[in-house]
Amino acid sequence: MFIVVTGGSGSGKSEYAEQLVLEHQTKPYLYLATMYPFDEECHRRIARHRAMRREKEFDTLECYTGLKKADASGYGTVLLECMSNLTANELYQKDGAKERCVEEILLGIDRLRTQCKHLIVVSNEIFSDGILYEKETKEYQKYLGEINRRLAERADQVVEVVYSIPILHKGDKDAG
Amino acid sequence: MILVTGGCFQGKKAYAYKRFGILEEKGVDGAICEMEALYSAKLLYHFHEYIKRMMEKKEEWSLARLKEQNPEIILVTNELGYGVVPVDRFDREYRERTGRICCEIAKEAKEVHRVICGIGTVIKGG
Repeated sequence: MFIVVTGGSGSGKSEYAEQLVLEHQTKPYLYLATMYPFDEECHRRIARHRAMRREKEFDTLECYTGLKKADASGYGTVLLECMSNLTANELYQKDGAKERCVEEILLGIDRLRTQCKHLIVVSNEIFSDGILYEKETKEYQKYLGEINRRLAERADQVVEVVYSIPILHKGDKDAG
Repeated sequence: MILVTGGCFQGKKAYAYKRFGILEEKGVDGAICEMEALYSAKLLYHFHEYIKRMMEKKEEWSLARLKEQNPEIILVTNELGYGVVPVDRFDREYRERTGRICCEIAKEAKEVHRVICGIGTVIKGG
């Protein structure tokens, strides 16, 4: 199963995605963490997510760029969080893929799908605030939008989480 | 408790008045009301603005108190968080906090409605 979980900030999408992992009960679990800890606020967010995962038996692998090099072989379920961070890293970090980020990330996703039984990817809706950003940010929105679309094409299920409530946009709720 | 959410200018308030048979004058504006009004209002709109004022005044949020004192309230709120991470720290915390509080409320609510173009979809209960 390949499931894409998306939603706004603070919508409860991480909690939902972790719940999905536990429901599938396909161990061992790997958490692919993509948030680069560049300041104190990131550290706090990371700590909050770690606390949420405590006692859920996840191994954690940090992957800030170069997803296709991440080795998840042997894992039953992989939870990648979050695509918006990974995309930003590929765009803005020194060793990032820049304008090749879409293809590079999709290569990584396709490889992960062959390595594990279930892949759950958390992404983010950053497209509807009606603000016109400068070129760089607009490009980021464009790349992430394209990645989300192409992930959704591949996915068995696409779920949007609205204030903790899952809304199924693609797939069969009872499948898998 | 009932939660009505959706983007701005989608007709959430009008939908809620009509759907739940509440007179407009009974609606309380969360952007300007007394903070205590939350615990007696039949319907409170601009709940996201209420949360923002709560943060500015550094007031505590307690779902337990709301459940105890006003369990039948209808809350109408903008759905925030569908944009790029804001540059301003307070803005970031505000949209995050609104999300977390609305998740708590949605879990507790007997119904959650989401309004787009004036059309409501029941996404929980109902």
